[in-house]
Amino acid sequence: MDEPRSWLECDTRFIPAHYQPVSLIDLALERGVNAHRLLQGSGLFYEDILTGDKLISPQQFHALIANARQQLQADDTSFLIGHQWLPGHCGAASHALRHATNLLEALQRLIRLQPLLSPLMMPRLRLDERHVWLSWSDSFGSGSQAVFLIEASMTAVSSVSQWLSGQRLPWAFHLAHARPRYIEQYWVHLGERLRFDCPLNQMCLPREYLLTPWAEASATAGQVAEQEGWGMVRTLVAPRSLLDGLHDYLVKEIRTPLRLEQVAEAFAMSPATLKRKLKKHGSHFQEQLDRARSAVALELYLSRGYTTEEVADYLNFTDRANFRRSLRRWTGLLPSELSTWLGSQR
Amino acid sequence: MRLFQKLQTVPMLTSHRVKLAVLFVAANIGLMLHLLNGDIKPLSAWDWLDIAGEGGSALLLLVWIWLLLKSRPAGYVTNLLFLGLGCLFFSLFMDVVDEFVALPDEITWDGWLESGPMPAGFVLLTLGIFHWHKEQLAINEQMRNRERLFREHRQFDKLTPLGDAHYLRKQLELALGEAEQARLPVSVVMVDMDGFANINRDYGHKEGDRLLQVLTQQILLNLRQHDLLCRLAGDRFALILPHTGASQAQLLAEELQKSIQHLAYKSSRQGERLYLSATAVAAMAREEDAETLLYRLNIAMAKAKQTLEVRHG
Repeated sequence: MDEPRSWLECDTRFIPAHYQPVSLIDLALERGVNAHRLLQGSGLFYEDILTGDKLISPQQFHALIANARQQLQADDTSFLIGHQWLPGHCGAASHALRHATNLLEALQRLIRLQPLLSPLMMPRLRLDERHVWLSWSDSFGSGSQAVFLIEASMTAVSSVSQWLSGQRLPWAFHLAHARPRYIEQYWVHLGERLRFDCPLNQMCLPREYLLTPWAEASATAGQVAEQEGWGMVRTLVAPRSLLDGLHDYLVKEIRTPLRLEQVAEAFAMSPATLKRKLKKHGSHFQEQLDRARSAVALELYLSRGYTTEEVADYLNFTDRANFRRSLRRWTGLLPSELSTWLGSQR
Repeated sequence: MRLFQKLQTVPMLTSHRVKLAVLFVAANIGLMLHLLNGDIKPLSAWDWLDIAGEGGSALLLLVWIWLLLKSRPAGYVTNLLFLGLGCLFFSLFMDVVDEFVALPDEITWDGWLESGPMPAGFVLLTLGIFHWHKEQLAINEQMRNRERLFREHRQFDKLTPLGDAHYLRKQLELALGEAEQARLPVSVVMVDMDGFANINRDYGHKEGDRLLQVLTQQILLNLRQHDLLCRLAGDRFALILPHTGASQAQLLAEELQKSIQHLAYKSSRQGERLYLSATAVAAMAREEDAETLLYRLNIAMAKAKQTLEVRHG
């Protein structure tokens, strides 16, 4: 029962409208979109945003993104927005990121201050012997805006790390969606190291770039700003989203038998409530469990070089055929296909 | 210079307000003359087929007039087209009125009102279309290096007056096909700004957008008659060079690089000089499709950029 009792949900108003949403609004207005049409159905008014204390919910942000895409009808919106999102205009949190002394510190700060810096998408960092892996998951079930958010988030991290390091970092991108028709946008904004139809949305970089010192950072200013940012995170109604909390819990407990009832208990809610909350986010328990297992399986394959047998054992599968079927359901790939995919990896 | 900037619909129509008012008054005078001199026909005498046919045509003409005025700036050609369509509308409108109002037999001017403007309208419309054709040739000359063979307004880029990536792909397929048939080489050059993301970051999106528009003009000035420039995405442009071999394409790529380096661009707010540089790579088409060729250029671009000094992107 060590899980916190409150969570950010898709209708929790915690995103300051003048942080990330405003860069999207500005871009749309600059490109001649009518302000009324842009904010239609989002429950937002332009005057509210100008006050500087308006908080919006992830749902409202999703609606805003949907409107902006609809009105702009351009393939590059997500990428242009991504270039602006980090370090962004989020006060101390942005300042902390701006003064990170190396990539590792920047990524750690991004994750620690995630509710402020990347409110809709959760980055998770993993290091293995040779690579840095940054995987992304959708914190609030964004539905049809998922690809947009992935494009924007990955562009944001690759753009800010390039800006701060003063160097083109050879990020490679694994994307869960199919290769889009507007591939040229990926080439220009992310680079040529792209893989589509992957089991997971993640980006990867050789480890040697992790600790290279960044020239223009001020270590003390960065630390102070991080403390201040962390103070801001703690004033939020909850430090993280329900889906992210659930995912981390499932990953941690993946070797134990996991049932809805007992997970709901750990989250201090009734099974019916958990079910209803997941439904509100467009998901259900089995899907969350599959995602967690898929993430664990991939980590074992990718970073620890496990064989299929070892992965199956780790996840308590006694029946090989059953494991093959399950892996197929989680990742869309059979073990043999997965190892081909892994083999062509680096 | 921005031909494809969204046409501002409201001012466009207001500048034509007088024309619309004259047409409205003329149609009303015709109607009044009929009503003053004649009697309304009984319902049984209405010829529904004629009413639908003539009334429908008159309505469609109004739609044409509206679309014409909405999309065209004022000028000689617009006036001719409007006068032609206006006469046709007036003539059909009188025909419709005639279906409802019976005029005494001694009145003959109604025939003139119905049939007179019709031939005049056709003559004016013909003149208008002839001059429109001349105007189009002049515009085509302005569009040189920005479109080839076909026009597809949905494939215009929203920012620069160029075709977008879809237009580029289609044109490239065409050019590759042509080249294969004629057994002539075709090359493609890709141009990408160095450090463009930093300009966006330091000076804002508006400045970045403006720079892209200026760059477009700068590149266009360096092209030959039949070269085609498109915007691929972001700050990356692609050039199709028909009948051009590898060495000539390489030369053009270098020229473009130099030309951009020598462009003394000033920021719009402070007038500060921004020092620009670009990377341009060239490739001659082998036996491959458009997508493969673009991908190959893209890899070449990534390699060329890798050798750049730090602080560039």
